[in-house]
Amino acid sequence: MKTSYKLSSALSFVFVIAVLASLISCQKVIDVDLKSTEPRIVIQGSITDQEGPYSVEIHKTVNFNEVNDFPPVSGALVVISDDLEDSEILTETSPGIYTGSSLQGVPGRTYTLSVKVNDQEYKAVSTMPLPVEITDLTIRQSDFGPDKVVDVTFNDILDVDNYYRIIQIINGARQPEIDIYDDEFNNGTEINYTLFTDSEDVDLQKGDSIVVLLRSIDEPTFEFYRTAREALGSSQSPANPNSNLSNGALGYFSAYSVRQDTIIVE
Amino acid sequence: MKLKSIFIQITLYCIIYTTTYAQNKYTLSGAVRDGKTGEELIGATIIINEIPATGTSTNAYGFYSITVPEGSYTVTAQFLGYQAKTVSVALDQNRKIDFVLSEQANELEEVVVTSQRKDENITRIQMGVEKLDIKEIQNIPVLMGEKDILKTIQLLPGVKSAGEGNSGFYVRGGAADQNLILLDEATVYNASHLLGFFSVFNSDAIKDVSLYKGGMPAEYGGRLSSVLDIKMRDGNMKKFGVSGGIGLIASRLNIEGPIVKDKGSFIISARRTYADVFLKLSKDTLTNQARLYFYDVNAKANYKINDNNRIFLSGYFGKDVLGFGDTFGLNWGNATGTLRWNHIFGPRMFSNTSLIFSNYDYKINIDFGGNTINIISRIQDYNLKEDLQYYLNSNNTIKFGINSNYHRIIPGAITLGGNFESDGLKLSNKHAWENDAYISHEVKLASNFNVEYGLRLNAFSVLGPGDFYTYNTKGDAIDTASYASGEFIKTHFTLQPRISASYLLNEKSSVKASYGRNVQNLHLLSNSSSGNPTDLWIPSSNNVKPEVADQVALGYFRNFKDNTYEFSTEIYYKKMYNQIDYKNGAQIDFNETVESQLLFGEGRAYGIELFFKKRYGRFNGWVGYTLARSERKIEGINMGNYYPAKQDRTHDVSVVGIYELSKKWTVSATWVYYTGNAVTFPNGKYPIDDRILNYYSERNADRMPAYHRLDIGATWTVKKTEKFESSWNFSVYNAYGRQNAYSITFRESEEDPNRTEAVQTSLFTFVPSFTYNFKF
Repeated sequence: MKTSYKLSSALSFVFVIAVLASLISCQKVIDVDLKSTEPRIVIQGSITDQEGPYSVEIHKTVNFNEVNDFPPVSGALVVISDDLEDSEILTETSPGIYTGSSLQGVPGRTYTLSVKVNDQEYKAVSTMPLPVEITDLTIRQSDFGPDKVVDVTFNDILDVDNYYRIIQIINGARQPEIDIYDDEFNNGTEINYTLFTDSEDVDLQKGDSIVVLLRSIDEPTFEFYRTAREALGSSQSPANPNSNLSNGALGYFSAYSVRQDTIIVE
Repeated sequence: MKLKSIFIQITLYCIIYTTTYAQNKYTLSGAVRDGKTGEELIGATIIINEIPATGTSTNAYGFYSITVPEGSYTVTAQFLGYQAKTVSVALDQNRKIDFVLSEQANELEEVVVTSQRKDENITRIQMGVEKLDIKEIQNIPVLMGEKDILKTIQLLPGVKSAGEGNSGFYVRGGAADQNLILLDEATVYNASHLLGFFSVFNSDAIKDVSLYKGGMPAEYGGRLSSVLDIKMRDGNMKKFGVSGGIGLIASRLNIEGPIVKDKGSFIISARRTYADVFLKLSKDTLTNQARLYFYDVNAKANYKINDNNRIFLSGYFGKDVLGFGDTFGLNWGNATGTLRWNHIFGPRMFSNTSLIFSNYDYKINIDFGGNTINIISRIQDYNLKEDLQYYLNSNNTIKFGINSNYHRIIPGAITLGGNFESDGLKLSNKHAWENDAYISHEVKLASNFNVEYGLRLNAFSVLGPGDFYTYNTKGDAIDTASYASGEFIKTHFTLQPRISASYLLNEKSSVKASYGRNVQNLHLLSNSSSGNPTDLWIPSSNNVKPEVADQVALGYFRNFKDNTYEFSTEIYYKKMYNQIDYKNGAQIDFNETVESQLLFGEGRAYGIELFFKKRYGRFNGWVGYTLARSERKIEGINMGNYYPAKQDRTHDVSVVGIYELSKKWTVSATWVYYTGNAVTFPNGKYPIDDRILNYYSERNADRMPAYHRLDIGATWTVKKTEKFESSWNFSVYNAYGRQNAYSITFRESEEDPNRTEAVQTSLFTFVPSFTYNFKF
């Protein structure tokens, strides 16, 4: 068995500090006078080895103190093409959401997203890695208290650098944590990854159903999620995640393969 | 360059001045000691009364030497808080006289603010230097009642706290890693206990603290912003003694005494916190498994072989332990050791040879049901240092020396146990050899005009073995060169000219000016807000150039009412080169190519410091104010424009008041106010998957809220006799309960999923504490 030590060590450190800090600190919601900004374009799109349709969403940023109502960007020309010259123009099915119909992703191929809007073009390239199967899901007690956690096991592919994103869906609710892993220390071996949850509301009970998605992602997508996770944490110099999109667009375009498995809590 | 030509002119003038001076002269030398403990007094003044404006002061080992024409003189030794002593000397040959001074009976003098000659602040050449009286620290209220030199120096102008309750500090716009912290000459790489809330220095063991903010004498080098030179006590030469304290979170014990009376002595000081004992009492299964404590030990011994030879052995060992059950542990700490040999070559030449060892490391242990992960990281110094002081005559002192320091860094090694396939991972070790040579000349050009100028040469060699990478502009490694053990990969040479001058306008006032260049070859990478024990030191290399700073400063010093009041102001401008910041999303942890995550550029810092102090009387204290700016300009950040450094603070105010109500009661208060740090707040937000991400446009373009806090304290002396002393110390940290922002984070609202919110975390609102101190 292998353990994802990076995450574990970070988590346990944060945990100990949190216990101590709670003894001496207090928190409150405050009003902060934040600078407003020119809206920026945000693109997120993906293509997988599963049946489509795939969609690309285009929005604009809003100021921090506004409600989470992001203006869609309409009228864009959105094209996904691959390295074998297959391509498809996506159609805008609802404001800011562009959907394809024919294209299906194939592992090993490289995909290019092109978005043309308001005389600007934004491009991104992503290569779809080979899928990795989940070999086992188990439920055990957490090392940090009475809660239950899910361990996901899979066999890393030797000879290539693999990057993973693991998503946990509990009773149909997708968990917000960004769980990512690379095989730097486990190349070609069996990997055992523990899915922790930040939320205090999540308390696995008998009969709960947990779906785990194991996405094989490419390095730029991994970099995006790694830096996004950092930005959501408490960095001294927070910054925008590293996007693979050109021309200053925020967001990502990712070609990934995915496998899933389900476990019911007993 | 104009400055250079002035420098050369002064040099020439000084040489001519020195060599044309010849008469029948003799040297008076010796030591100045405390009559009660036999400890040498640092910075005591020796005055020859018949020749006004001739004087010297004792060096770090209590040694003085003064050379004057043949004649009969009365010589006075004085030290603040002590009764001055005058002796008659017929100087018809070189003579050796040791002065033994007794503490003044007047207890009011105990709360004096400096241990120097009354007008030392005006007369000495050095500017930008702050001396701390250890006795004074006892009366200043601090967090949890643990008196702390690092927190006390933060109350001085130009020195700023790194954050709430934090012992880290910033000097004149420099970063926290740009302070050279020396404990008996050994570099202390991490001066923090408990994540910064306490410093590693136990004030029971400390004799002298000097902080240089600028115009560093040439004997110091290695960091850009400041030198904090801390000297440990030598121990009582006359009799055994025990002192200690029992506090809310920590207890201390100090034992000292003679090894051979008046020949050698020792001192051992230790302390330990016991917050973890309370954690264990908690019913909460999470809290009672937590471990959290630190301990440290200072030990020193010295022995006088004869009048001309003396050896000292001193050491520090400290450890922080943080953990949770058997699952997780993080330990870190410093260890330093110094072996010194003082030798007097005749009456005019003083030599000190030091062999110094310093180690800082941290270890992380994780155990998940038999699967273990152990992480270790370490930095070590092996240092040989030779310092010589030559007291040519009463107007000229020459200091010179060499320093050879071998640095070894283990950036990180992971060992895996249990069912892991791989054994672990080890980042390649770093080796560097740093050599320095310096010379400085202090000269009295006129009775009211003193100059000290010097030069320090630094050669920093990066040694193999290891792989050294070359990066393209994107930060990808494009070339790797492998070097064998001991091979020189790159040597950086830096010349550091230094000059300070003081001009006495009259008895009460002086102006001073200084210029100095400093270089730094070890750089701390830290991306956390508080400073973690796991921050990484990296050496200069083929990719990382030495950091360099040039500082000019100008000061005006004035005393009032027979030196009862002291006023000073200094302005400074500092230009810094090869400053380091991080790329967006930089990955610093366990990255072999960590240098590719860095950006380099320049910086500037400037400001004005005002300081007004009442030094004596039942009421004393000070007010300090700093108006300052510190900026960086780095390609790749904020479009290459100047932006505020994190530690940029416009205003910084400290007020300290100590009042002796009666012989038994002393009360005190401090108040601080400063502009919030420069931080990066989001300018917008956008949805990604199911999360809301913040959008950032400029680095450090926002401000934390202003910080202010009042601390109050009281000391109740229960008993004070020759045989036994005891006192109680009470304090309240943050007395009016201001909720200062320790951090501000931005998150999705918990109440309304359609909104986002800013959350402020505050620490330490109203913390009372008490300590019982004793001495016998």
